[in-house]
Amino acid sequence: MFEFAVVSQILWTSFATSSYFVLFAVAFALVLKVNKVFNFAQAGVMTCGFYAAYVGVRVLNLPGYAGFMLGIGGGVAMSFVLEYYGFAVLRQRKASAMFVFIFTLIASQFIAYAVMMIFGTWPTTIFASMFWPVTMVGGIAVSAWDVPAIAATVVVLTALWAFLKYSRNGQFMLAVADNADLAELYGIQKDRILMLSMVLAGVIVSIGMFLYGTRAQVQAAAATELMLFAVAATILGGIGNIWGAAIAAVVLGVVQNSSILFIPSAWQGFLLFAFLFFAIVLFPSGFRLPERRNTLKRLAVAPQALSDGKGH
Amino acid sequence: MDYVFTILILIGLFVILASSFDLVIGHCGLISIAHPIFYAIGAYISAMLSKQSGMPVPLSILCGGVGALLASALVAVPALRVSGDYLLIASIGFQLGLIELAKHFHEIGGAGGLTNIPSFLIKDFGRESYVVLVLALAALTVLFIRWLTQGPYGRMMTAMRDDELAFSMLGRNAIWVKVAVFAIGSGIAGIAGGLYAHYFRFLEPDQFGLLQSSAVLTMVVVGGMRTTMGPVIGAIVLQLMPQVITFFNLPPSILGPLQGLLFTGLVLFFMFVRPQGLLPAADLWVGRKQQGDAGQSAKEARS
Repeated sequence: MFEFAVVSQILWTSFATSSYFVLFAVAFALVLKVNKVFNFAQAGVMTCGFYAAYVGVRVLNLPGYAGFMLGIGGGVAMSFVLEYYGFAVLRQRKASAMFVFIFTLIASQFIAYAVMMIFGTWPTTIFASMFWPVTMVGGIAVSAWDVPAIAATVVVLTALWAFLKYSRNGQFMLAVADNADLAELYGIQKDRILMLSMVLAGVIVSIGMFLYGTRAQVQAAAATELMLFAVAATILGGIGNIWGAAIAAVVLGVVQNSSILFIPSAWQGFLLFAFLFFAIVLFPSGFRLPERRNTLKRLAVAPQALSDGKGH
Repeated sequence: MDYVFTILILIGLFVILASSFDLVIGHCGLISIAHPIFYAIGAYISAMLSKQSGMPVPLSILCGGVGALLASALVAVPALRVSGDYLLIASIGFQLGLIELAKHFHEIGGAGGLTNIPSFLIKDFGRESYVVLVLALAALTVLFIRWLTQGPYGRMMTAMRDDELAFSMLGRNAIWVKVAVFAIGSGIAGIAGGLYAHYFRFLEPDQFGLLQSSAVLTMVVVGGMRTTMGPVIGAIVLQLMPQVITFFNLPPSILGPLQGLLFTGLVLFFMFVRPQGLLPAADLWVGRKQQGDAGQSAKEARS
């Protein structure tokens, strides 16, 4: 069971499958950082992204890339609807945090039920087959899905990092995340930036759902559990820390998938809830690395100051 | 007639659930939608105690309530220690995790469900006796919550909900008030769960999932939060409405999602169109002077 080949195979597969978990966690953490909302409606966006791609590929028989684009379109459209007709209205009314919470939860459930009515409750996949050709690399079976999925995740994360660091809108997003009212005083259109962050999250989760839907079966209610994984990763990564959430998602993904070495596979699903519960109980502020000392160093005290003992 | 009795029992049970949930979410302002899991805990404990150890049903129902109360404290203490927002996430994790756990425990029926739960009263006194019991307990619950929220404890809850910082500055422990209210609400839900188990005699983990959470939340939001009669009206309306749908003879694969769509759609509709619900909450704890001033200004405006 614990042979090197078995362990390395499980670790590799776990690492590859954590790619979509990273995207879900990053999107959740981004909205939490900028919009200051625990966006449980992300599950609804994920559902829309997946079923839009499914319609493109399986119903309209479009090629995979067209289904991918349609998936992103579906996710973005739902993000726009949620922000424009939901969050923006609630912000305008100065709705309480509880009210916004309830809205996000109920909106995701509403979307799930609507999708169940249209597509039924049976699980499905984006492509007719979930099996990918396998190549042996140093004794490890690497599927044709693994490398593109990891590459896509790396590209998305790099693009997001560059967007936040170098683009004007990205910097506006960080300004709104820091202090929305102050950002508005400096002429940043807060509502536009909040919409942008929601739409960006919509793009990220749609890519994640495309990856997930090409490897595993999805049903309308599945997105809720996937999103709870993102919540656990966001909390463990430290609230407001997008990259911390990404790292936590990789760790959680690897731990959950490689748990098959220690526990029966039927219990793997339960691990997610255990993570979530213990993340809140034990690490409510996430894992924090020691902060870098960016403060100015104390200057050497002048001999004169030392002599009179008062510094002047 | 059995059908009518069953509907009445369901209405009674949901009045208990919705009223106790309103105590938690409305009166105390605690964000949690995991109320059905405490209903489930009460149901399973009561069913197992009476089935396996032959404990008298009323006592096992009480034990179910106590079990739900203790379980809720287990969730609330660590979550509320951090922040109110975390209670929602912790409670959802607890709800879905426990459902997942129950599916794997064959001793309590697993995913297939727990059957042959001992019945109560019905054999000796007929179904109507159970209807009377459930409706009486529902009325008692409503009266108890009314008494609780309109007395000194209610004032304390209102003060804490409206301004937790000021409440704490007065030397009160907000966390313990929250944990206590959460536990009381969950304990009541546990008792309702016991009543459910001994009437329907079958329990399945998936019955207590997010659909149930949406249903109870809908009853409170549609009826009107922080009101005595709001959750009662919500429970009656939302128990009768799905019965209408059942007459269309739709297949179960459509019926379930349709009910869910209706519940969640109604919550969204009320959230944006009539956030105060069918019965808007009055400001119970406005000071007398303030009320007098308001009355005076209203008179002046009329004259």
